[in-house]
Order: sequence, then structure tokens, then C-alpha cells
Amino acid sequence: MPEYTPFEMIAYTGSRVLEDEKIVFVGTGLPIIASMHAQLTHAPGLSMIFESGPLSPILEMGMPLSVGDTRACRKACFLKGLSAVFELTQRGYSDYAFIGGAQIDMYGNVCSTFEGGTYNAPQTRFPGSGGAGAMAANCEKSIIIMALEKRRFTEKVEFLTSIGFGDGSADYREKAGVTGAGPYRVITNQALFGFDKKTRRMELLEVLPGKKAKNIQDMVSFDLLISPDLKEMAEPTAEDLRLLREVCDPEGYFLNRKVK
Amino acid sequence: MKSKVSSKIKKVSNLKYDRKMAEEPFEWWGPSPDEARRTMSNKAKGMRDKCMPLKEAVGRHVRDGINIGIGGFVNTRVPVAIVHEIIRHGARNLTLSFQSNSICAELLAGAMILDPERVSIRRVELAWWGYEVIGIAPLLRYLTSNGMIRLDDYTNYGMSARFKAAAMGIPFVPTRDHGGSDMELVNRGRMVECPFTDKNVYLVPACHPDLGIVHVTAADIYGNSRIFGAHCTCPEISMAAAHTIVTTERIIPNENIRTYPNLTEIPYASVDALVEQPYGAYPGASYGFYWFDMDHIKMFRGICDEFRKTGNKDGLKKYYDEYIFGCETFDDFLSKVGYKKLRQLRDMDGGQPIILS
Repeated sequence: MPEYTPFEMIAYTGSRVLEDEKIVFVGTGLPIIASMHAQLTHAPGLSMIFESGPLSPILEMGMPLSVGDTRACRKACFLKGLSAVFELTQRGYSDYAFIGGAQIDMYGNVCSTFEGGTYNAPQTRFPGSGGAGAMAANCEKSIIIMALEKRRFTEKVEFLTSIGFGDGSADYREKAGVTGAGPYRVITNQALFGFDKKTRRMELLEVLPGKKAKNIQDMVSFDLLISPDLKEMAEPTAEDLRLLREVCDPEGYFLNRKVK
Repeated sequence: MKSKVSSKIKKVSNLKYDRKMAEEPFEWWGPSPDEARRTMSNKAKGMRDKCMPLKEAVGRHVRDGINIGIGGFVNTRVPVAIVHEIIRHGARNLTLSFQSNSICAELLAGAMILDPERVSIRRVELAWWGYEVIGIAPLLRYLTSNGMIRLDDYTNYGMSARFKAAAMGIPFVPTRDHGGSDMELVNRGRMVECPFTDKNVYLVPACHPDLGIVHVTAADIYGNSRIFGAHCTCPEISMAAAHTIVTTERIIPNENIRTYPNLTEIPYASVDALVEQPYGAYPGASYGFYWFDMDHIKMFRGICDEFRKTGNKDGLKKYYDEYIFGCETFDDFLSKVGYKKLRQLRDMDGGQPIILS
């Protein structure tokens, strides 16, 4: 198997998770790379939507470095503003949300607002919800990218910014007034998680070759459900890596970052 | 009690917050819908030439205590020229409203840190404040961890919908987000039971800024504006605000507007002052004209981060003295940036197709 970086593994796994003939609502960075890779391989009919306004652009000028920038709008089929794309999403046009965050709990609730202290006097304030809260509420399925660390996979998040299954009760999302079905996959470079249909708890579906379920559990603060059908994560081939490195992110903005 | 109806949000996270503040009676953070309506009915709506120097536009419309609605989105078509002029003019006790912004919010925050007697921000209604790939916003972090500003958090749709409700002349809009997140507990929206479906739905209040500040692709002298690239929430902000200052890359003839009226995104009646300011969003981007200046943004962000880490204001002061107070106009600032850089950014945009005819 060729050598690859953690970010390349995340992007490749993100691509694998996306189905053809769908619309994926993307943020800057790995979600765009994963979606581009999917378009170039198994999902040529996949479209991207960006929160600043464009639907189905052709990313021929290179990686957008800002979701509103010229590159993200290039040759779009429909280009309005934030209201339009989020209203399409509320209406049911966006199949996948692709979001990140600082913390996640076992029900797929994500924090991207602050860490430490209180809401009114936070120790570390993050940028805030941005589009993520709306995407997690109203795209049909949420895909969450997260670094696999104990402090991030936490019992309880410090601020629930992007809704998952809340407290895990069956009617949580309905009572919240949101429209999407909720968390679908959580992607890290060492494991792929899904959610158990009955309990809505996070379930380990795949691990990096060579890793065991216990290795992953050790990186997570809450008890994971382990799929009875636990698989090894597929690894990118030389051709996948060529696409990722030469076509999707040739400047290496996102794939060449160092893991902290 | 904030609301009789709620989702099952209560104990999901470890959120600690000031309950008294979260449950205080609802208050408009700018003109109420009735006040905004009155301002609009009392305006003269003739087609008159609204072109004026930026200094005059800001002098007419900026005063202490107002709510300023900032257009653009993160680094895209952000009204930087207007923000520079606001900083030179001075404005205290401001409320800022926007969905996602980077440099405009940070520039105002930096001005506040340097001299709160000149510029100060009291509170911000927002969805996101940062630089995307370039990094977090250091001054947001500084002001929040020192308890110097109050924030009211929504999603990007929430803030857009709030401006849209205001633009529609309605006091609130139902949304299908915020509910079931901690924003339901801390922001000024409210969960209600829908009278038609009997299900929960989250209402966000209209947001009428006293002053909307927006940069557009092209406009005629009356303010009829075209926007190419992402519209962001600029049409809504312009129409929501009691008054709006528009900067434009180009002035185009009214005849062109009348040839393709469908291309007008902001009608003249919602523009109070118009300034032709090429590169008015720099170091942000303006589709069809220039890409954003990653180097300049990184440089400014670096200075802000240095201050956050050390508390030393020298670098910050030097930046403002050089690029804002050391400039009479935005063109003076652009001269300091230099033709070479502006030319490079124009090339990076690649001349996206826009319609000026």
C-alpha cells in the first residue's frame, strides 16, 4: 500500500461515504476535497452546494480557500446567497452535511462555539456555528469530521452548536423542529463511526488496518458500540492519492497540514 | 420564563451560562420593525444622485450606539473601505450584526482595543467570526475571554433569515434550525408551537440595522445595484436597514439598469449613499474584479494574534497608523498596497464574467 497522510485518509474516507446523484453541502477544506474525489471516481453525479450561494460549481480554478470565493462560484448552475441555499436545504435538497467541530458526544452533538468558562465569559471562544448548525439540522444526513482524541470525543459537549440526536431520545429532533434525519457518519483518520438505529449511539464501523476496537475505545471518553460486523477501513490506492494530490488539492493547503 | 414551549434541550451539554441574561425580556438591538417602517415611509424616494465621498456618507449616517449590519461573507465582498472610514470617523457603543465575517469585525475590534474612546463594540449578533483556512479571529477571542463584548449566536441561516424577515417587513421568521441546540437557550429567538402543524418551530426576530454597509459589483448613481458572484446576504441587509451605504466597484449608466432590470439585486430606494470605490472590499475579494489578498490578511491577523498573546499593542498601533489613520481616503490605502499586488489579485480572479452593460 502506498504511504498516505492522516488528512488524505480522512478525505478518501469522506469520498467513500458519499453516494452518487446526491447534493452535498460542503465547508472549506477536507469536505470539498472529499467531494471532488468522489466526483472524479464513483460519484460523477454528485453536486456540491456552498453556503455563500453557489450550487454545482465546477472547481476548475483550484481549491476554494473560502466558501464564498470566486473559485467556489465558478461555473455554478445556480448562484444566489445564503438564504437561498439554506432554504433549499430546509426544503430537502441537501442530502449530506459535511461539518467539523471541536467536540462531539455519543449522540453526534457537536460543539464549535467555545471551550472552558461560560458562554458569557468563555476561556476559548471559537468562531461559532456558521452554517454548521443549520446544516446539521436540515441536511438529510450529517457527516462529521473530527480528530480522534479523548478530549474531543467527550461525555458531554460544552456547548451544543450542531444538533445530533440530542439526549438520544427518539423524538429529540422532532421536538427540536429540525427536518433532517441526523448524524450519519463520523470520520477520523483511524476509524469510521456510524450510529445505532435503536439507541442512536455512536457505533464503531471500521478501523484502520492494524488497529483493534480497543485502540479506538481508548481514544474516546464515552462507551462506543462496536459493530458486530467491524471492518477494516479501505485505504487509498496510488490512483486515489494522485487524484487527491494532483487534482483536488495540488497546493497542499489541507492535505499537507501537520497533525497537532 | 423565556418561552412556554421548548425542545428537549435542557440537559444535553455541560453548558454554563448567565440564565438571567438569557431570560431577560426581549429587546430589539436596533430599530424595531415599527421604527424601521416609519423611517422608510418618511424617506424621500425620488431618483436622485446619491454619489458622495465616503467621508460624507459615513459622517451623515454613523453615530454612537447604532446597529451596523455588515455585508459580504467572511472574505467575500466585505465592506472594508466603509469600515476604514467608520474607524477614522469614530463610533462608540456599537451593535454589529452579520452572518460570517473576518476582517471587518476584526478591524473594528482592533480599533476598540487601541482606543475605546474612538470606537467601541457593545454587542454582536452573529453566526461566525473568523478567517476560515487562515485561522481563528484573535481579537474575537481576546474580547470574549476578557468579557468585553456580548454575543448573541445564531446559525448562518438564522442571521440571514433575520435580515430577510426585516427586508420582508415581518417581525420574525420561522426556521428549522437552532432548536435542540444550545442556541435555543442563549439567543433571542424563541420556540413556539406551529398553529398549523402543532409541531415545534423556532422563531428568530427580524434584524433591522440602523445602518447597512454593503459593497457591490456595479450600481447606477441612484443606487440600483448588481451583484455578481455569491450574493451573500447583501440584498437582505440593504433592504432591512434603516439606512444603507453602498460602495461599488463601478458606476454604470441608469440605462443599463433599465435594460436588464432583472439583474438589479438592490433597488435604489434602499440606498442612501453611494460611493464608487474600486477595490472597496480589499483585502477581501470581489468576484469579477479581484481575489482576496491572503498575504495582507495573514499579516493583519498575525499582528492581532501577537497582541492577543503578549498584550503588546505596538504592532497593532503601527498597522492602524500606517493603513487607516495615515490615510485620508481608501485610495491612499490602496496606493500603499501598490499596483503590483492589486494587479496580481485581479489576475487571480481570472476575470469572471459579469454584466455591466
